[in-house]
Amino acid sequence: MSNISNAQSSTPQSSKFKVFRPWIFLAVLFIVLPFIFSSGISVYTMNLMGIFIIFALSYNMLLGQGGMLSFGHAVYFGLGGFMSVHFMNYIEDEVFILPMFLVPIFGGIIGLVFAVIIGSFSTRRAGTVFAMISLGIGELVAASSLIFVAFFGGEEGVSGDRTMGPNILGVDYATDLQVYYLIAAWAFVTIALMYMFSRTPMGRMANAVRDNEERAEFIGYSQRKVRFISFCASGFFAGIAGGLFAINFEIVTEENLNALTSGVVLLMVYIGGVGFFIGPIIGAIFFTLLQTLLSHYTEIWQLYVGIMFVLTVMYAPQGLTGILAMHLPVIRMKRVPQLIMPYIRLGVPVIIFLIGAIGLLETVHHVRSAPVDQTMMTLMGLEYDTHGVLPWVVMVICTLGGGYVAKSQAGQLREAWEEAHAPVSSNGGSAK
Amino acid sequence: MSMAISLNEVRKSFGPTEIIRGVNLNIEKGERHAIIGPNGAGKSTLFHLVSGRYTLSGGSVSLNGEEISNLPPYEIYRKGLSRSFQVTNIFPLMSVFENVRCGIMWSKDYKYSFWHLVDRERSLNERTQEVLAEIGLTDRQHVPAGVLTYAEQRALEIGIASAGGADVIMLDEPTAGMSHSETDQAIALIRKITEGKTLVMVEHDMGVVFDLADRISVLVYGEIIATDTPENIRNNKAVQEAYLGAEAEHA
Repeated sequence: MSNISNAQSSTPQSSKFKVFRPWIFLAVLFIVLPFIFSSGISVYTMNLMGIFIIFALSYNMLLGQGGMLSFGHAVYFGLGGFMSVHFMNYIEDEVFILPMFLVPIFGGIIGLVFAVIIGSFSTRRAGTVFAMISLGIGELVAASSLIFVAFFGGEEGVSGDRTMGPNILGVDYATDLQVYYLIAAWAFVTIALMYMFSRTPMGRMANAVRDNEERAEFIGYSQRKVRFISFCASGFFAGIAGGLFAINFEIVTEENLNALTSGVVLLMVYIGGVGFFIGPIIGAIFFTLLQTLLSHYTEIWQLYVGIMFVLTVMYAPQGLTGILAMHLPVIRMKRVPQLIMPYIRLGVPVIIFLIGAIGLLETVHHVRSAPVDQTMMTLMGLEYDTHGVLPWVVMVICTLGGGYVAKSQAGQLREAWEEAHAPVSSNGGSAK
Repeated sequence: MSMAISLNEVRKSFGPTEIIRGVNLNIEKGERHAIIGPNGAGKSTLFHLVSGRYTLSGGSVSLNGEEISNLPPYEIYRKGLSRSFQVTNIFPLMSVFENVRCGIMWSKDYKYSFWHLVDRERSLNERTQEVLAEIGLTDRQHVPAGVLTYAEQRALEIGIASAGGADVIMLDEPTAGMSHSETDQAIALIRKITEGKTLVMVEHDMGVVFDLADRISVLVYGEIIATDTPENIRNNKAVQEAYLGAEAEHA
């Protein structure tokens, strides 16, 4: 499961620098990113990414590391958010004095408290039982959030003001950039902690219980307790993510703990790749990009995300990270050139197919949703009449032709792929 | 009384069918004990009852004089009884190294620690390497356990069971499905890892049984009809009729 650094234990001393290198890289990256992407929308996007990275990693402690499929992880995220926004208000009302950057801890604590309560009975079994309980709890908490108005603020939620509290070094979080560094710092710490958790006896046993819960009991570990501890840790980190959400948006609503958010985190983690520690990070980045950028161009971006999710489940169960990882041996053996031509031969018809398919979807959507008299639409820089015959013919030809040619080219790619991987040494492929 | 395991009137029924019908068995410390019997005699069921996978319908089991009836498997393991499985039961997605290391963690007293980093624990990793060398999988340690060959998985299975240093080791058909040369290797391995320990094994291969065991128990239809040295078992009339005779007819 360790894919940030697969440094094995056999040479613990010599690789000390190697172990820290990814972390130094990550820290530097976090610091310089806003200089590269400095526009308002990029900082906004990166803030969201940071929050979702923590949330997705905490979710993968359950799904990827512990083998628990949860449909209600937003509960801990949302409750952490609500708790934090209340703390922001306490700070504003001077109930007590606390620097704003510590607020997410209280989000984490409430996430932990609820994980302890709910985990005490939901982690008894993994599999379907756990999934169903998580779904039920998710619905229960989402429903109560509209009932207990004092805490959840009813439909309009609870809002706060992050600029209150004692200023430290003149940082008052008035700008998104200051919030970015707050989120980046928290993200760095929590990513490191979650990675380290996966490398402790507890984290190793979480994997063991995921792989084979029965055998784990015969080497001294109670599967239930292992799941419970993972669950609590996961709830804690989800709560921290919720706290950062509260600081970033200064409002938390019912939407942050309902099934939709639980579904989003599942989608992110799965598309990113559940089998890898960095999978959820990649998933969160990818999903946030889709959400903020794609939604500028199309109203049906969620449809594309859904299709992508289904395709991932069907054809790339290891997610985007899995696809990247599959190429590592090829890169190591310096055989990338062998694959370029086959990829182009497959890629071109796939792109044509995508243009046709996206065109069809967008045009159908336009016909259904635009005012009756507005038949002109613009797509990919082309303006055309949705009621004309020609655009439809072109799109159908693109879809069918592209799809057909792509399918016929799949074989040659597979051959080239196998050739590029050919002399795999007998102990090739590192453990997941 | 220096009994490693003692079973007293142990019974197990699934619904109306009684599979284990009052088994009494005492296994001494340091003994290599084999349980044999025809298919469906309840050998594996008996193993599951002792190791905590099944709950008893009646009777009691004790380990080193301590009552362990109906304890969960992990409690029994912590009291010093470790077992392997007939159908390979490993952690398929984790590396061979991780499989063995997980088998050692409890005995090294890490418990559910999330404040140790496993890669930094030198004695844990050294012990893992020792076990890997013992089971001959040092070269394969970074491979996911799920892609090992069958014989390698069987070796790993035994390795996980013995890694934690439990003083009673139960092996359920350790050589099932192995070729002759693989079986010889397995016997050598079993000898090595059970040095100074108590071994209880279920085995079909009579060669292995007579080679390894100090004493043999014969289980037929949920009852032990004889417990004795290999020599006496070979000459026992009742055993020949119930088990070896039946075997001869099949052959």
